[in-house]
Amino acid sequence: MSTQDKVTIHKLPTGVPGLDDIVGGGLPEFSFNIIAGAPGSGKTTLAHQFVFANASPERPALYFTVLGESAIKMLRYQQQYTFFDPSKLPDSVRFINLSQIVLEKDLGAVLAEIIKEVEKSNPAVVVVDSFRTMVRKSHNGPSELDLQSFIQQLALFLASWQATTFLIGEYAEDELRDNPIFTVADGLFWLRQTAERNSIVRKLQIVKLRGQASVPGLHTFRITDGGLQAFSRTFGLSGHKRKDRGTHRLSIGIPALDRMMGGGIPEGDSVLVTGASGTGKSVLATQFIAEGIRQGEPGIVAVFEERPQAYTDRASKLGMDLVTPQEDGKLLILYLRPLDLSVDETMNEILEAVKKIGAKRLVIDSLAGFEMALSPGFREDFRESLYRMIFALTGIGVTILSTVEVDESFTEFPFSTYSISFLTDDIIRLRYVSIGGQLRKILVIIKMRGGSHSQDVREYEITSDGLVIASERLKGYERLISGIPDRVRPSDEKE
Amino acid sequence: MLPLETRDLAQRLLASEASAGNPSHSTESAALRVYEKLRRNLCALAGVAGFRALAARALTLAKAEVPGLSVMQIMADGSMQGLGEMDPPGDKHPDGNGEVILIAELLGLLMIFIGRSMTLRLVQDAWPEADLENCNSGDGTRA
Repeated sequence: MSTQDKVTIHKLPTGVPGLDDIVGGGLPEFSFNIIAGAPGSGKTTLAHQFVFANASPERPALYFTVLGESAIKMLRYQQQYTFFDPSKLPDSVRFINLSQIVLEKDLGAVLAEIIKEVEKSNPAVVVVDSFRTMVRKSHNGPSELDLQSFIQQLALFLASWQATTFLIGEYAEDELRDNPIFTVADGLFWLRQTAERNSIVRKLQIVKLRGQASVPGLHTFRITDGGLQAFSRTFGLSGHKRKDRGTHRLSIGIPALDRMMGGGIPEGDSVLVTGASGTGKSVLATQFIAEGIRQGEPGIVAVFEERPQAYTDRASKLGMDLVTPQEDGKLLILYLRPLDLSVDETMNEILEAVKKIGAKRLVIDSLAGFEMALSPGFREDFRESLYRMIFALTGIGVTILSTVEVDESFTEFPFSTYSISFLTDDIIRLRYVSIGGQLRKILVIIKMRGGSHSQDVREYEITSDGLVIASERLKGYERLISGIPDRVRPSDEKE
Repeated sequence: MLPLETRDLAQRLLASEASAGNPSHSTESAALRVYEKLRRNLCALAGVAGFRALAARALTLAKAEVPGLSVMQIMADGSMQGLGEMDPPGDKHPDGNGEVILIAELLGLLMIFIGRSMTLRLVQDAWPEADLENCNSGDGTRA
């Protein structure tokens, strides 16, 4: 069957920022969906967002309430969200209470009432909240066969009337098997809410969605004044083609380091700058971003350990003006410090910033601060999340420079405490060495995935102009990377 | 004490029903017709139990202002027994009769729970012809 012979399934906006990307572009029109989850997980709010995004006076939304949250209180609370548009009531959004019929009659009467209202209004959207309470009630009376028949008839009827339907229910995950409703449903949205130490972590999963590919896995979401906001695991970039890697190199703003790296950082690389506290990681990162601005490459700095003002002030002391480019829209300094962030939310902020100013360079200062800013529940997945983030960002051509602090050891030479060096294309290691009664600093390029690089161990200083690297390797010592080198006789030294 | 706006709204609804002039309603009071319309619409929204709970609270509040309303009783379906039948001398409230107070209390509760804007929308839906545009909001502004 050719593409043009296939039926076109229109996709409706979910009304939830980020969710359209997750479901594959929007919710299939006329689909019969379940929103499942524990109380307080955001089911009703999600349904309301969909309703307000799609209802019109010509094709309204019918919102059937059953034994559950009182409709009056639901309206009281839901109208606090910014998506709730009171002007849509009652012409476009109509609330109908079915409690009495559910209590006094059987499922046949409930179906008859729904049919009556649907035929009267010709709705585009139908919601039954909570469907679960209706089914619970039915267990006391009709058989499972009656229930199955009811669900089947309801689904058939609503699809025939060209309505997109949501049934809301407090289901547990072990009910997925053997429940006829999950078999009939075209879409199954599962909302989860778990407490991780002192933080609440909300995640949603598209367990099933007929007719189109959704992004698999658990996606973080947050409930704000604007309702639910979802953060796709692929950051909304799943359909994007990875940008071809060119030969362009980005200058770091430190000529000696550019030369050590074969002309600078290959565009689209992820660079890790690692070293102990005070070795100048942030200084190097600031020089990288300032040089980008000089070259006409807008940049983003995501800071976690100091406020943007402090970051700007520190740059100013090194002779780098980060104020003007911020005013000119060439630089954004993001301060991301709430303690229950998910990586996906952080990514969303960074991506929005990248889109906003067309950023080519990104500094994450530092990964340790980033990890601390995350909710404890997300820290376990930090490495995996970091991989997804770096892959997504470099895929759109952004060059990332991340700093990470490592404990200085004189018996080993670690690159990072996160075992994330495989995520990075290039690693620059800074470290202290004890020479002649002084604590001096050396720099070495550990790896460059894109090609050859200098093998030199170079001494550097942090001056009022930033990092100044010696033009030649540090001679006269061996075992420099141990931090406690041995002096060698000039005759023994290799050239 | 009820806000001026709520009384104003209740009076407008009663006036709207009184002027409707349907001969088949000649034996029903305007207050009864207003209450029944509200009952029908609010039962659809909140269910019979939800409406009945609101109406019971409204009646209790109204009784505190107009003791003569104590003859009224809410039935299981939310209908109000005795409404439209009372008007004994001496039960007139300085700000209006008891039936206005009852309707106003019901509308006042709705405003407390779902807000003024949404209440007016629900009322307008039940009385599409009624002029609610210039309802006195009590603070000098107009709806």
